Amino acid sequence: MRTTLSPVLASLANVFRIPLSQTASRPAAAAAALSRFNGNSSSSNSNSSSSNNSTTSSRQFSTTSAMAKRKNAGPARDKRITMIRYFLHHPLTPRPLRFSRTRFLRHWTIHRAWHLYQAQRRRAETLELERQWHAMRAACEELRTGAGDGGKLFRKSMIKTGIFKDLFPIEYARLQTEGPSREGWNHEWKAFKK
Amino acid sequence: MAHCERASKPLLQCLQKTYTKGLPGLQLQSTRAFQSTALAREEAQTETRSQPFYKAPDPATVSNPRLERKLLRQGVAPIGSRRRRVALQDSLNIPFEQLPYQCFQEARKILVADREEKLREITSMREKISRLEGLSTEQAGGEQVKKSKLRAMELHLEHLKIQADINDPLVKKKFEDGLGDMSKPIYRFLADRKWREYRRKILVQRITQMKVIPDVIPHCDPTLDTKLYFGRRQIQPGEFVDSKLSTEAPKLNVQMFEGGEKLVTIAVVDPDVPNVETDGFDFKMHYLAVNVPISAVNTKVDLSQLSTESQVVFPWAPPVAQKGSPYHRLAMIIFEQKESKALDFAAVKAKETARENLLARALESRYQLKPIGAHLFRTQWDESMYEVMKSIGFADAEIELRRAPAERLPYKRRNTANMR
Repeated sequence: MRTTLSPVLASLANVFRIPLSQTASRPAAAAAALSRFNGNSSSSNSNSSSSNNSTTSSRQFSTTSAMAKRKNAGPARDKRITMIRYFLHHPLTPRPLRFSRTRFLRHWTIHRAWHLYQAQRRRAETLELERQWHAMRAACEELRTGAGDGGKLFRKSMIKTGIFKDLFPIEYARLQTEGPSREGWNHEWKAFKK
Repeated sequence: MAHCERASKPLLQCLQKTYTKGLPGLQLQSTRAFQSTALAREEAQTETRSQPFYKAPDPATVSNPRLERKLLRQGVAPIGSRRRRVALQDSLNIPFEQLPYQCFQEARKILVADREEKLREITSMREKISRLEGLSTEQAGGEQVKKSKLRAMELHLEHLKIQADINDPLVKKKFEDGLGDMSKPIYRFLADRKWREYRRKILVQRITQMKVIPDVIPHCDPTLDTKLYFGRRQIQPGEFVDSKLSTEAPKLNVQMFEGGEKLVTIAVVDPDVPNVETDGFDFKMHYLAVNVPISAVNTKVDLSQLSTESQVVFPWAPPVAQKGSPYHRLAMIIFEQKESKALDFAAVKAKETARENLLARALESRYQLKPIGAHLFRTQWDESMYEVMKSIGFADAEIELRRAPAERLPYKRRNTANMR
């Protein structure tokens, strides 16, 4: 019933001053409660059990851990720092990444090149979008001035009323992407029929 | 055979074999490096094999403790760790750019292409600048327009020059080794960035916290990295300097981060000379030199070596602090002369006659100077100060200053009722 720590963990906790009050006090408290219950029911050995209870309860119900109660326990430490130190120096923690001079320089070269490549790609994308936008604008302008109907067609095409009335625009229903999906169109899809 | 040598030999041999087998396409200067045994290094050694290795050990590759000791006795320290030297004995010595790592080589291709692109941009920008310079002011659309256009183009050109080299790992390596050539813009840029990361922040903090900025000059935005040496000792900004040390004029190391040459004026001002009559503090000019040439490569300025005929207006006066007086700040300000024109030394010398109460602000406005560098040290009464005062003939060496006792407060009867 009692959850026991492995001896390695227990000794580590001891070294790093991690109070084990949570894990240690609970089973002890449960055991104390259990013994008290036993003492009440059976009055034969009540004397010995009550004396036993008093000695254990004074220790078990204290919220101060044993290490912190000591007189030369040192200054109170931040538990977070203790935990960080614990995990940092734990044998299962991998060692820090160390590179030789040339290896670091190679790493740096690759890093810079990757960032440069990404920047170039971003720039190309932006330029392409700009080009498309300008092309669309030029087409609209051509429609307005060059169609020869005094811009009627252009004005008709620019009317935005009633767009959301009958149906919601289908392109708002999914996340916008740069290109079509790999499969293209799912021809097998059917609306769910009841 | 040394211990680590013995340990690493089989591993290195194994590595060497796999390298030579696995990379037939790699181009090196010496093709013999790929014939499994004979290496370029050995090739070079056989030519100079007139005397065996133990007679003239190479400090870069010696790994035997006995030979190391022999070298040390000759006064040559072996280079790097023994582990490194052992590894170097059997290395292929491939140049850094040709290291056979696929990702690295792909990355280099991108960087090289980008550099070529930048170089093309630089040439086109230069052509544009020369074309604009060739135009008359009317064609360019007014003088102001032409000027601002040219300025913007030149700034962009400088930016491109830096961008062309900033991704080069060898440039980075050279800079980190301190071998950067300061005549090139990229190394100046890297040095400037490094200076601004820490040392400039410290300097600005010291000169503002110790109130040099409002006391001596109204404003200063340092753009020069200034190091100050008394003898061989470097003085950090704001440090207390022993009076004996500061009897001789200091040496400066002034690093400029722009191209070209500048003429500067160097002034050392003490704003803390106690004046008993006025119950205040006076200024004193401890050093003043004009027309000092500095550039990015010519950084060393020895204040005692400057020419007294054409540069030094006031030679170095050792700073002194009387006993009991608060510490003295010695602020060294480097002013840029307007348009790097030389000041008329004779006129300056005739005009500035007294060191006392010569303000840096006055100099700034009188000669159109602009502060571009600053440094600061402090001096206070110490054991050797009395001797220094005696040797320079300081008049009030024996006098100890005391603060005037504060005026006594008028007697006030204690209200003992409140104390209960």
